[in-house]
Amino acid sequence: MIEFKKLKWMVKKEWLSLRRHPGRLVSIIAFPIIMILLFGYGMGGDLSNLPVVVVSQDHGNLTDLTLDTIKTTDVYHVVNITTSTSDAKAMVDSGQVKAAIILPPNYDSSDGEQKTATLYLDSSDQMGSQVLIPATQGIFNQLSIKQAMSQQAALSSSSNATATNTSVITEDADTSGSLSASLDSAKSTINLQINKIYGNIKYMDFLVPAILGMTIMMSCMMGMGASIAGERETGELARLFMTPTSVATVIGGKIIGKLSVEMFRAIILLIAAIVLFSVTIKGGIIPTLILLFIGALCFVGFGIMLSARTSTQEDYSQLVMPFSMPMMFVSGVFYPIETMPWILQKLAYIFPLTYLNDAMRAVMIQGQSLGDVWLDIVVLLGFTLIFFVVGVLRFNRDV
Amino acid sequence: MKYAIETFDLTKKYKDFTAVNSINFKIPKSSIFGMLGPNGAGKTTTIKMLTCLAQPTSGTAKVEGYDVKDNPNEVREKIGMVPQAVSLYKDLTVEENAELCSDYYGIPEDEKFDRINDLMELVDIKYAKDKRVGQLSGGQKQKASLVASLVHRPDILFLDEPTIGLDPTTKRVLWNLIQDLNDSGHTIILCSHDMHEVDMLCDNVGIISTGNMVAYNTPQGLKDDLLSEQKKEHEKYIQNVLGKIQEESPEKLSASEINNISSNGNVSYLKKMSFLLENSNEDIINSLKNIQQVHSVDIAKNGRVNLKIEGFDDNIVNDVIKTIISKNGKISSISTEEPSLEDVFINVTSEVDEDARA
Repeated sequence: MIEFKKLKWMVKKEWLSLRRHPGRLVSIIAFPIIMILLFGYGMGGDLSNLPVVVVSQDHGNLTDLTLDTIKTTDVYHVVNITTSTSDAKAMVDSGQVKAAIILPPNYDSSDGEQKTATLYLDSSDQMGSQVLIPATQGIFNQLSIKQAMSQQAALSSSSNATATNTSVITEDADTSGSLSASLDSAKSTINLQINKIYGNIKYMDFLVPAILGMTIMMSCMMGMGASIAGERETGELARLFMTPTSVATVIGGKIIGKLSVEMFRAIILLIAAIVLFSVTIKGGIIPTLILLFIGALCFVGFGIMLSARTSTQEDYSQLVMPFSMPMMFVSGVFYPIETMPWILQKLAYIFPLTYLNDAMRAVMIQGQSLGDVWLDIVVLLGFTLIFFVVGVLRFNRDV
Repeated sequence: MKYAIETFDLTKKYKDFTAVNSINFKIPKSSIFGMLGPNGAGKTTTIKMLTCLAQPTSGTAKVEGYDVKDNPNEVREKIGMVPQAVSLYKDLTVEENAELCSDYYGIPEDEKFDRINDLMELVDIKYAKDKRVGQLSGGQKQKASLVASLVHRPDILFLDEPTIGLDPTTKRVLWNLIQDLNDSGHTIILCSHDMHEVDMLCDNVGIISTGNMVAYNTPQGLKDDLLSEQKKEHEKYIQNVLGKIQEESPEKLSASEINNISSNGNVSYLKKMSFLLENSNEDIINSLKNIQQVHSVDIAKNGRVNLKIEGFDDNIVNDVIKTIISKNGKISSISTEEPSLEDVFINVTSEVDEDARA
């Protein structure tokens, strides 16, 4: 009963502090929303309407078809159609447009020679380049197929007809050298059908579960610094340790107090994700909250382990940064772990956030149950156990 | 059990650094004990060990009969502490902080609020009970801290620099409070740099320097010790000087020559007396110098005449006054000064410092 009262006070203290500092409460609510907005709109969106200029030096059906296709593709925003290659290149060089799509002078001729379209590209914009190259290659592939098919049809009616090929080369505006190989005209009629087993997943859908995990990780680890090292520095912890109270009760109280606030934050995060980005949680809100709870417990434990012997909040901040920053970037929050270099992939598996992200994505995107992600949960609980045992053993009651 | 606190070779080491070096002292029950020492001398570490906030490296201490190593929770029940930096939760009110401490000490629910109310009335902070600690003034914070520290009715109260940074009026309020608490039976351990505070409040004083208890006595005892020690040193010095002179010149020195040597020697142990004269003149000063027990006469910038005198009794005061009046001097004010606790502190700690440097 006495121990319960002590634990209750730590929870009460956390909430009274929050209530009496409306600024902090706003931060608790606003921070997750800002994170979601920042990463959602900043990183989760698709690139489109990239400004381009088209150089059209010929007339005919193929030219018209090509121009129509480029104009109607979302990726491009056609700023100008010109006949001057040098003018178009100047526009790219000056940064007015991201690329010039240069159709050759013989583009519409039917002499059977290979036609080479050029993508004169501002490769200093890496993100834009990554979108423009495949989009342009895709358009000319399609056009080549169409051209080949129509010529095939013509060939069958007239044996004198000659096949025509089109290809595109990519020319880097910075180096003005040809970078990518010419594309051979496509002759294949094999069609690739893509079955997306989890539906049409946007980057935002991939991002939100991990942003939730990362936000909980950051606030738990930083919060425990203020709660233990900060109170050790300002003397409140000494006041508690002057009473006949065990280390376990003091730490337990801190944990429960912190978890109650973090779960409130998690709920706000989920609501923000649902309202702002129409994120659907396929596995259900309760399993998602349970996962966030386990994650919060794990990171609070991590915070206790690190703060067990630190005497000031500044020391703690310095100590926690080498763990929190790599964890943020290596644990697959922004990019799938599989796309990272092998050494980072190995590193990712020693961070608990990796397992939380994996479980969160499985539940939120794939609709899996907690039973399906048991391995992630077991690993997280294992980490939690280690952190708490080490934290309590290392905890220095001397203040 | 006669003593509230007894230490037995109490030692605390941090790696190679010895913060407290095997100290032994006893503090009688229901007394006020002043703990003095320069910054970094080991006072706070000693208090931390006595309040179970730090484990002794070796040796031990008994607090109200309980060993700090073996029975820390029993010790914690018996002590309260008002640390120098207010260690209350700044976002909680005065009453909430006291309530939190009550629950941490396991005070029964039906007693809790009565105790808190009584204490808030005792220290006169009830009017601010719903104010957050972060919004209180320095004096109010110390009072709030006292309430939180006394809620479990401890036998011993540790006060670490309780009046530092407080205005003189608030200081006096706290001093009265400390005296009242002592009168009601609490043993008070007062850690302070305010010599006046310690001199006025404490029954016994211990001076810690470089981790050692270098002096322990009543405040008056310490001052008397200093005087007698300095007198002995002075006599030793004079004997040395006279011995050397007599070795070099066999003829004996006259009494006036001996007096001249001793008055030019180390006279820091001598008591001081000072006057402010309306009509100070050379005749008066020379007459004062001729009084046998007067060792030196100085005139300060503000015109005050300072005398150093050996054997401070009523006769010498009378002699000095009579001499001034006989020379038609008019005295505006007169004061006498004995060695202060500050003199004791500086003397004791500088000796230790010199030894350490040697």
